[in-house]
Amino acid sequence: MTSDEIDIGGGQTRMEVAFGAGDSDSEASAVVAKKDASLGAIFNQNYRPWDGKLGPRWMRNYAIFRHHVYGLITSKGHRNYHPMVRLLIGLIFLVSLSPVPMLFLASLIGGEDGGFLNKMWGVNRYNLWGQVLGFFPRNLCLWPLLTALVVGGMISDDRQNGTSALYFSRPVTRIDYTAMKFISAATILGFVIVFSYFLYYTSAIVFRGEGWAFLADTLPMFLGGVFAGLILVFTYTSIGLSLSSISQSRFFAAIGFLSIIFGSKLIAFLIESQFKTTLLYVLSPYDCLAHIGQYLIGLPLNYEHPLSFSIVSIIMMNSAAIALLVSRVSSLEVTRE
Amino acid sequence: MIGTLRGFIQVLWDNVDTVNGDAVMLDEQTAPVIATKSLRKMYGPHLALDDATLELPAGAIGILGPNGAGKSTLFKCLLGLIGVTSGEGSVLGHDIRTEGDKIRSKIGYMPEYNSLDPGLFAIDQVRYCGELLGMNSKIAMQRAHEVLEYVGLKEQRYRKIETFSTGMIQATKLACALVHDPEILICDEPTNGLDQRARSFMLKTLRRTVKQGNRTVLMSSHVMDDVQEVCDRIVLIHKGRIVVHRSIGELVSKVEREIEIVVWGGAKKMDEALSSKGLETRRLGRVIRIKFEDDYTVNKILEAAISSGVQVRQLYEYEPDLEDVFLLIMEKLGSEIKGSSELLAIRSGGEEE
Repeated sequence: MTSDEIDIGGGQTRMEVAFGAGDSDSEASAVVAKKDASLGAIFNQNYRPWDGKLGPRWMRNYAIFRHHVYGLITSKGHRNYHPMVRLLIGLIFLVSLSPVPMLFLASLIGGEDGGFLNKMWGVNRYNLWGQVLGFFPRNLCLWPLLTALVVGGMISDDRQNGTSALYFSRPVTRIDYTAMKFISAATILGFVIVFSYFLYYTSAIVFRGEGWAFLADTLPMFLGGVFAGLILVFTYTSIGLSLSSISQSRFFAAIGFLSIIFGSKLIAFLIESQFKTTLLYVLSPYDCLAHIGQYLIGLPLNYEHPLSFSIVSIIMMNSAAIALLVSRVSSLEVTRE
Repeated sequence: MIGTLRGFIQVLWDNVDTVNGDAVMLDEQTAPVIATKSLRKMYGPHLALDDATLELPAGAIGILGPNGAGKSTLFKCLLGLIGVTSGEGSVLGHDIRTEGDKIRSKIGYMPEYNSLDPGLFAIDQVRYCGELLGMNSKIAMQRAHEVLEYVGLKEQRYRKIETFSTGMIQATKLACALVHDPEILICDEPTNGLDQRARSFMLKTLRRTVKQGNRTVLMSSHVMDDVQEVCDRIVLIHKGRIVVHRSIGELVSKVEREIEIVVWGGAKKMDEALSSKGLETRRLGRVIRIKFEDDYTVNKILEAAISSGVQVRQLYEYEPDLEDVFLLIMEKLGSEIKGSSELLAIRSGGEEE
């Protein structure tokens, strides 16, 4: 009710009116509505036509992308991520940038070759590999958790809420739907994993004032790391999304993903410790990626089995995950879910 | 039991061709917005849609049929979502086999089941639906305001959908379907789960969309009253075949006139007395319907009441509705049902809907 509708006499507050603001009670006056209170606007239902033009395919696809990616920044108007999920993703991003302040510190302290801090966090093959593919903390605590949080509800929410009907009853094809969901998830993962890697490399150059020689020296291995990071993002996204597509629960997809990553590594580790063979690591997505990453960055390989086994394994894992994803998205219904 | 309506059935049956599936009875001069010819859809060995030939003009059309009859399959074919096994069809001039995306750009679909993101505000949900059609974000937002006002959710625009009642959810789904002002609106059970007030508003809104918006509405429902309130014509699907396609007025006009009486003190005696006077009757408790034969029918009824000593509390000419028409058709088709509501429990071997 606005002040336009009811005029409270003399601007007196209720308290003043009730207890008397003047010298005596006789001066107090009651609140009198000088105008009739509004009974609300009469609902006048009118069909309003629209003769605008609908945009092309990329606009529809961009809408899907924006809905999922912007939701992380602001859930208002976009996909609603739980505040705790957003907080954790932010935290993971910050932790992934932890070498940057150490590099800054190293640049301040100085010393021969930057001293201990630079040896620990400066750019070299091991650190570049570790920034993307190191097991602890990144592939134990950060990337799998990040993937689980991002892909958890990406498709399973559509199954649970029936929102797939909103997509497929519009000119959104299943290919577009799957591709945009994939790209959205991969963008978020890529931003945290690959972008943090970029920031790490860039800050190493900037803080230490490195020149072209350093760039020429380290760029190939840096690019090898970028490529390894992209393969990691692609693999984690495809496995995560396929799990999301087979269930109606965010939790299932998240736990399923973590189980695959950690379970396969644990089994391979136990087999290795018992039978002294690394062959079972071909079943572990992380180890296959680590194996390929070591090759791309130029590190000595610490797996006994041939690199080709890991490459084939990664290709097969991705193919199986994408086949499952496509199959399950094909089964998403419009008329009933 | 339905002897008094035998004539009607015959007339109706003349127009029902379950052999060829041809049930095309387009009497309007308007060009069809939806046309199919010998449309057939098989899911593996199961025939879901059989030889469906249709020409639907603009207006409000009710799609009726038991569960599993093939209504959803027809919708999916018309939306271009599934490939047809054989036959052809067009919606607004676009081929359903090759131009599904163009068709879906011009159609608004309101699904039966929940299809909204509970975590979104209503305004954002409708806006997002507009964006999924390719609308610019600002325009989609503007349209979202307009259509939410149209469906009566102006004050609830900024409420999360998870807090909505069933009526508000249905209204939001309708707003999502209307956001781009589609030429055809397909509503799957739009009054499902609504209370009387919300149902009435939904039907009024659909009717207004047809009359004021000049849009075509295809509505599937199990509630005959809803279909009769909104639609001008019906398409009845049974076991994948289109068995009736006519205007409701025409169908109802074919039902023979009946007098309905409510008696007190011996309905059975009254029924016997009426039969002895050569009148065809059908009785449900104290309500008896008598076939109107000539102007003397009422006199005969009153004479029967006097002779049997029964009070006639009410006497009026019964106005048949779509439910009567529907029951007759279903009976002719061999479904032993007592009312349209019973259809919900029937599985006629079709696909799950």
